[in-house]
Amino acid sequence: MSVHFRLITLTAVIFACFNLFAQLQVEVKDGAVAEYNMAVSPLAVLDGADAAHASEISSAIEKVLDITGYFKVLDKKSFLEKPETAFKAVNFKAWLDVGANGLIKGTIKGKDDVELELAFFDVAKGKALIQKKYSSKAALAKKSAYRFAAEVIKLLTGEEMNFMFSKIAFVEKTGEKYSLVVTNFDGSGRKELYSTSKTILLPEWSADGSKIFFTSHEKNNPNLYSYDLKTSQIKTVSAYDGLNVSASAYPDNKTIALCLSKDGNSEIYSLDTMTNELKRLTVNSEIDAAPSVSPNGQEIVFVSGRSGNPQIYRMSLSDLNKVERLTEQGNYNQDPEYSPDGTKVAFSGRDEKYQFDLFIIDLASRQISRITQNQGKNESPTFSPDSKIIGFSSNRSGKSKLFLSNVSGTKQIAVYSGEGEVQMPSWSPAETN
Amino acid sequence: MKQIFNFCAIAVFVFTVLCSCAGNPPKDERELAEKAFADAEGGKDCDRENYLAAEELLRQAREEINNKNYDKAKELFNAVKEKSDAIAKYYREHPDECMKKDGKENSEDDGTIKEENVASTDEADTTADPKNPEMDFQVVHFEYNQYAVLEEDLPKIDLMAQWMMNFPERVVRIEGHADERGSNDYNLSLGEKRALEVKNKLIQAGIDGERIKIVSYGEELPVDPASNEEAWFKNRRAEFKREN
Repeated sequence: MSVHFRLITLTAVIFACFNLFAQLQVEVKDGAVAEYNMAVSPLAVLDGADAAHASEISSAIEKVLDITGYFKVLDKKSFLEKPETAFKAVNFKAWLDVGANGLIKGTIKGKDDVELELAFFDVAKGKALIQKKYSSKAALAKKSAYRFAAEVIKLLTGEEMNFMFSKIAFVEKTGEKYSLVVTNFDGSGRKELYSTSKTILLPEWSADGSKIFFTSHEKNNPNLYSYDLKTSQIKTVSAYDGLNVSASAYPDNKTIALCLSKDGNSEIYSLDTMTNELKRLTVNSEIDAAPSVSPNGQEIVFVSGRSGNPQIYRMSLSDLNKVERLTEQGNYNQDPEYSPDGTKVAFSGRDEKYQFDLFIIDLASRQISRITQNQGKNESPTFSPDSKIIGFSSNRSGKSKLFLSNVSGTKQIAVYSGEGEVQMPSWSPAETN
Repeated sequence: MKQIFNFCAIAVFVFTVLCSCAGNPPKDERELAEKAFADAEGGKDCDRENYLAAEELLRQAREEINNKNYDKAKELFNAVKEKSDAIAKYYREHPDECMKKDGKENSEDDGTIKEENVASTDEADTTADPKNPEMDFQVVHFEYNQYAVLEEDLPKIDLMAQWMMNFPERVVRIEGHADERGSNDYNLSLGEKRALEVKNKLIQAGIDGERIKIVSYGEELPVDPASNEEAWFKNRRAEFKREN
């Protein structure tokens, strides 16, 4: 390496460090990197509102803030001020004393038609920065609370988050029984869409969120099906001899990438689900599998065994010869998943301790960061629609559960644990909020 | 003449040294070593001493990479590969011993009385006879992340080929399976590859490919749900099933 080149590298490194430092300062100032203590006061229950509903709403706000990893939600037991205290009469000293940087207060009125009023206060400044009133049917009040939480997050971190307006599909395996399950992002509202003893594998959402693709051995061959969430109808999408697995949706909402073995080996194809037109994308004598389409539909990332062991590759869809290997470390890297913002790829890899852990590749810098470590088997990463949170399955506490983590891995929580083992989660696109 | 030879030898030596000093990390050596070491995992318990030694060498090699001592790293990677291959060989040749050490050791000297039913010798065992239409099909096993049929399992496929020759109207299905490690989608592909490899061996033995169906179940149907070497070995398999 020439001295000249080294100098450039060194300068670049110093510059990068400086940049990082500058960014950290900003984020600390905004209360992001340094933990921001948020007090979510119980709602004041007025005019016949349901107390249980009120506490459900304030817990929903707490949960959303907690999942982001940016906030420490304070324990209600320590609060000194009554929920009924009016917005104008808040005693900020009492909130400073419990260590709060921020305070969320609110009132709920009415049982069927609900009026929800919420306010966010900067405790040190002693003033309200956001104050909103939402009127809706009772069933939509939680959604209003999510909108409010998203505004608070935006104000404090500068980040647009919409993960709270989405769902997660996964397979729950209980003994011999496989169930296709959908829950809200926080694991609540479990709905079983379909169950069978003949396998349900690798669920994946269509681009518009109206369908879920999955594979089943229902007809003794791993065929690809789609489940329509409106009509509950199941349709066969691809039933070639051999594998029909790992669907990943193109943004056009009709094309999917998938893995077929009809030509004698696992290869990746694109399939137009309207015309059934099939196009082969990979040609290689080793395994090519698990495609994930980039959000602009111009690339896929996938797994290939072409180097002797499974590694993650990226291929241009306009020039199939343009293939590059993304992972160099480790000899068992799988499960790639493109982030919806197109900047990252998450994958699971086997580390030096032979455990499967989650990693993220930043596509611009090629930096690989680790999300999980020493926590059992962590698999099937899936990004929230805002690319801020990763869902995955982990057996760190025995049974495999649905976990969420922020992208830095500093906040990881189990959000769903049912009767069976949670496998292969897939995050939906965002619903309109 | 001898001088020229010497000169050539020196030239080759110098060239080799120069090449290896050129400053590139030994990527191929590393990949081979890492892979060989991963494959030697089965011998972790029965050939522990060598396994730990290989692990230490690998650690040193990675460290040398970090220190940019690529020559030294290359040497170490080659040593890791050699040692790992030896462990893997030992593991393959002593599967019983290796599995016994997987936590079953202590069951030996516990003073209990062993009692077995011994089949009477005058009844011929027809379950392994390819002339018997009801012959028991044998299970073919695989190495971790591999789909090549092991040398010692080839007779199982030969037996199957004989049976299929003897009963030409029969159609079989080969079910390919993987162990629980790795992602579900990659394991589906691996199971498919294993089933296909066995199918190809049958075709090479003269069986019509139309009579052999294959299906992969990935990691979905383990025969042993435990998470240890013994279970994983049992679960990495291709099974023959009767289609008619």
